[in-house]
Amino acid sequence: MVGKKEVKPVAVLVITCVVWGALLGLIHGATKERIEEAERAELYRTLSEIFPGAQFSEENGRYVCMENGEVVGYAVVVEERGFGGRMEVVVGVSPEGTVVGVRVVSHGETPGLGSKITEEGFLAQFGGKRLEEIALKKDGGEIEAVTGATISSRAAVRAVRKGLENLRG
Amino acid sequence: MKVQEFTKGILKRNPVLGLVLGLCPVLAITTRVENALGMSVAFTFVIVLSNLLISLLKRFIPRDVRIPTFIVIIASFVTIVEMLIHGYSPSLYEQLGIFLPLITVNCIVLGRAEAFASKRPVPETLLDTLGMSVGFSLSILVISFLREFFGTGKVLVFGHQVVPGLLSSPATGMILPPGAFLVMGILLALLKKARVI
Repeated sequence: MVGKKEVKPVAVLVITCVVWGALLGLIHGATKERIEEAERAELYRTLSEIFPGAQFSEENGRYVCMENGEVVGYAVVVEERGFGGRMEVVVGVSPEGTVVGVRVVSHGETPGLGSKITEEGFLAQFGGKRLEEIALKKDGGEIEAVTGATISSRAAVRAVRKGLENLRG
Repeated sequence: MKVQEFTKGILKRNPVLGLVLGLCPVLAITTRVENALGMSVAFTFVIVLSNLLISLLKRFIPRDVRIPTFIVIIASFVTIVEMLIHGYSPSLYEQLGIFLPLITVNCIVLGRAEAFASKRPVPETLLDTLGMSVGFSLSILVISFLREFFGTGKVLVFGHQVVPGLLSSPATGMILPPGAFLVMGILLALLKKARVI
């Protein structure tokens, strides 16, 4: 027979989960829009670091960057697998197909080593490059890898190439 | 209500250096002082609120299912805090983002719920968790300071250089995982030797 002693713990656990689940659902619903808005604002801030003074609009997952009614470039967010997990990179490209700027939005690279790929010193190398030139020096390209972080650097290179290919196609 | 409930968490029963609990997040985030500050704020928030609630509800939680109940409460608090910060203060979220989920697996929070909050009245629980928070924050601030200083040669907090670059060739190993164990081990040995803990 199942007595009160067995039922109570189960009942309490079920109630706890239901109550907290409902509460989480409520708060999720209430904050969802704000979170999306905050993320969009964040992305546009990153985009205006690459294209200062431009206006952005989304089109099939890519961003068209306009200045005074003229298209000054395109941008795309790409994901790539780095040394320590997923990295998210924003690649800005000019209408001629050269890289305007690159920003690493999120990454899981080793602090102090791989994380240096987010610094201007490394990222500035991509500026003005075409797809053919983008590869690490040791792979026959023109990008100098971060010392001690070849895998992270290579991942960043792959991300930029992917971004360029996405925008070209 | 005794003051010891507050002070014990800082020295004698310091959660990190005394009880040696919750090392996973401690070792992971002490690469920079800035990270340790963020973790301290988030940790304090979650441990105080979840343990107060557990202390309030302790009469209704059956012994057999207390651990899963505590975990549900702690994890929910973490998630709620994460969603609210993400929505209402994106800049703070950027600083704290990755540390918030880590608090769920921080066994200090569960440890205090099990050892203290589930047995003691609310005011004592408040003192206990506040003391634990101060102890935790001090420990990770010291560890991260040592790691950042020896690992990068300087200490940067929110863009301000707190300590000038004194080392010309920093030991990068200190901000890598082995550095965490080294600093932790040396600190523990020194504190034991001095009979502080």
